[in-house]
Amino acid sequence: MSKITKEELDSMAKQPKKEDKDWIKVGMSSCGIAAGAEEVFKTLTEEVKKRNIKVAIKKCGCAGMCSVEPLVEVNVEGMPQVTYGKVNKDVAIQILDDHIHSHRLVNDHIYDIQAKKPNG
Amino acid sequence: MDRNIVYIKDTGILQPDRTKDVYAAFLNGLRDRGMQDSVMAVRVADIGAYNQGVVIKVLPDTTYYNVKDADINRIVDSIKEGKAVQGLAARKEPKQLRIVLRNCGVVDPDNIDDYLARDGYQALKKVLFDLKTPEKTIDEIKKSGLRGRGGAGYPTWMKWNFAKQMVSDQKYVICNGDEGDPGAYMDRSVLEGDPYSVVEGMMIAGFSVGATMGYFYIRAEYPLAVDRVQNAIDRCYERGLLGKNILGSNFNFGLEIRLGAGAFVCGEETALIASIEGRRGTPHPRPPYPSVKGLWEKPTVINNVETLANVPYIILKGGDVFARVGTATSKGTKVFALTGKIKNSGLVEVPMGTTIREIVFDVGGGIFNNKAIKAIQTGGPSGGVIPKDFLNTPVDYENLQKLGSIMGSGGMIVMDEDDCMVDIARFYQRFCFEESCGKCSPCRIGTAQMLNTLSKIAEGMGELSDLDNLRRISQAMQKAALCGLGQTAPNPVVSTLRYYQDEYEVHIINKKCPSKKCRNLLSYKIIPEKCKRCSVCMMNCEAKAITGNKDDGYVINMDKCVRCGKCFEVCKFKAVSKE
Ligand SMILES: Cc1cc2nc3c(=O)[nH]c(=O)nc-3n(C[C@H](O)[C@H](O)[C@H](O)COP(=O)(O)O)c2cc1C
Ligand code: SF4
Ligand code: SF4
Ligand code: SF4
Ligand code: FES
Repeated sequence: MSKITKEELDSMAKQPKKEDKDWIKVGMSSCGIAAGAEEVFKTLTEEVKKRNIKVAIKKCGCAGMCSVEPLVEVNVEGMPQVTYGKVNKDVAIQILDDHIHSHRLVNDHIYDIQAKKPNG
Repeated sequence: MDRNIVYIKDTGILQPDRTKDVYAAFLNGLRDRGMQDSVMAVRVADIGAYNQGVVIKVLPDTTYYNVKDADINRIVDSIKEGKAVQGLAARKEPKQLRIVLRNCGVVDPDNIDDYLARDGYQALKKVLFDLKTPEKTIDEIKKSGLRGRGGAGYPTWMKWNFAKQMVSDQKYVICNGDEGDPGAYMDRSVLEGDPYSVVEGMMIAGFSVGATMGYFYIRAEYPLAVDRVQNAIDRCYERGLLGKNILGSNFNFGLEIRLGAGAFVCGEETALIASIEGRRGTPHPRPPYPSVKGLWEKPTVINNVETLANVPYIILKGGDVFARVGTATSKGTKVFALTGKIKNSGLVEVPMGTTIREIVFDVGGGIFNNKAIKAIQTGGPSGGVIPKDFLNTPVDYENLQKLGSIMGSGGMIVMDEDDCMVDIARFYQRFCFEESCGKCSPCRIGTAQMLNTLSKIAEGMGELSDLDNLRRISQAMQKAALCGLGQTAPNPVVSTLRYYQDEYEVHIINKKCPSKKCRNLLSYKIIPEKCKRCSVCMMNCEAKAITGNKDDGYVINMDKCVRCGKCFEVCKFKAVSKE
């Protein structure tokens, strides 16, 4: 692995932050894992591959809403950024079908939502 | 074209949830105006507002509370016109502010590039190349007003400054990730969700005091936190952020993890140091404080996880920016682990000075099952209860202390009318009794005596003189115990006695538990008028305390009854009374 230099950090500070275009994040802290986040992560990874969807599946830490774990946050082009709670295998597939494929939000599992500002 | 997005949720808790009906009405309104393709309406499970009736939120920033059916069409029209309905729309006031948790739930905790993309190590760079000296760095922390989040709230800059001023060939920094209080898991979440921020905080602390080595002390019960911190440390070594000549400067710094065995007392700083040194984890008297004589007798700064997670933010944004958040004496935010009888239990971060009511009701969604709130407990076994009369108190170190509790590390347990204050005091006392290291007698004997007395009261054998005894032992422990565990162990007892002495007295004089929690004080009776003589209670009573038959009815023999409550639970006709 290459060493990070001061100059690299300088240029990172100047660059506007670029995030991956489309992503799904699964909360994988202890509470999330206890609630079944690993299965959700696995399901999403497999299904995305199977369906050949271009979306990055990532993991992240606790978003703070422990009572509605597992939490899955979805950010894809043309849709607001949504945090889904109480996601199991079925809801995960519904997210792929509805949110990502049909651009329809999955009712009743939405716990937080952020309107996207133009240009991130 | 981007569609307008509208969220709908009935946040009322007193009537049945009308979200679906309002949603249907809203869709009809859209269809009537041919707007179904330009507006996306969604039912959400949580809209961030509680007990405000039907809430409709039109993104990005218009919110309507207590929407009546007649308002729906006006709102639909307003979307067409592109402006909010005057007089109906409310201002949006976010209650949470995420500084410590800024990256939690956002970055992949195992991916250093994610952290770098979120200003990771920019603060370290600023310290090494712009501020350049420990003095200037500590000055920034001083300006911020940051105080320790591990319990006592000691000003972080002062602690760093003491260690910096010491002359020594070797100094250390320690991150206290022991987190032993029941009900608290803030530090675990930060270590699991954003380990790099804490690592960066450690480096900055190290630079400020002149340390070249740091230790993470993490309890072994947190294996995921250990894994993620270890991974962060490994990546930092690989990328040259730890080791020698960091970023080409002459700053050298290394980090290692030490596992704690999970004894509460090992969170106490002198015990923690002993434990890292490989000795038995028992406290010893201070002074000398660790900043003078700490790990292996060298000057050592020991800070809590949350304290350290604040540090990169403060350096990057400036101490004065941080100091704008909070109250006069307590700056920044505080992370709380909200648990107990709360609707949305979880991790919340609010500016210091937010009232307890706002935390419990606006952020936490209030009490579940429509029960009345009785008290909240803060500070774990070292803290106390705050009765509902003080819900409007803004949280900061001083205010909580005035009320007889403490900020502590951030556990916040919400209690309702079913919680018995004697039982709560007993719960924490048992915890302290079991966790006392036994080194000093005020704590070893005091916790045992207090626990016995509380048990006696809870079992209906208390006498009024017991209350004086509890107070006397408390004072002795507060004065004479060697470490914080014993000094603060009486707090839950003192604070419940302060606010709920009448509840203790009912236990002692009337031999009753008003919250029906203390098992030995309960008695069960079958109410003949309500009893349908189904015999279900009798069949479920393992103690065979219920006798009778279909013709004569059933009775409970309290001499045989072991007060398991089974009969009360199984009777479908509410014919068993519990008093
Ligand atoms: C019995 C006992 C347990 C403690 N447990 C912890 C703990 O789990 N985590 C923590 O950060 N501090 C704990 N403390 C406080 C530490 O001793 C120390 O004050 C703190 O880590 C200092 O960090 P801060 O200034 O950043 O708050 C405990 C203190 C006592 C007396
Ligand atoms: S106060 Fe309790 S925990 Fe602390 S040293 Fe004494 S016996 Fe040990
Ligand atoms: S279960 Fe209830 S109704 Fe049935 S016999 Fe017992 S008290 Fe009576
Ligand atoms: S409380 Fe338990 S032991 Fe007592 S009568 Fe009911 S079922 Fe039997
Ligand atoms: S600790 Fe996981 S969402 Fe709270």
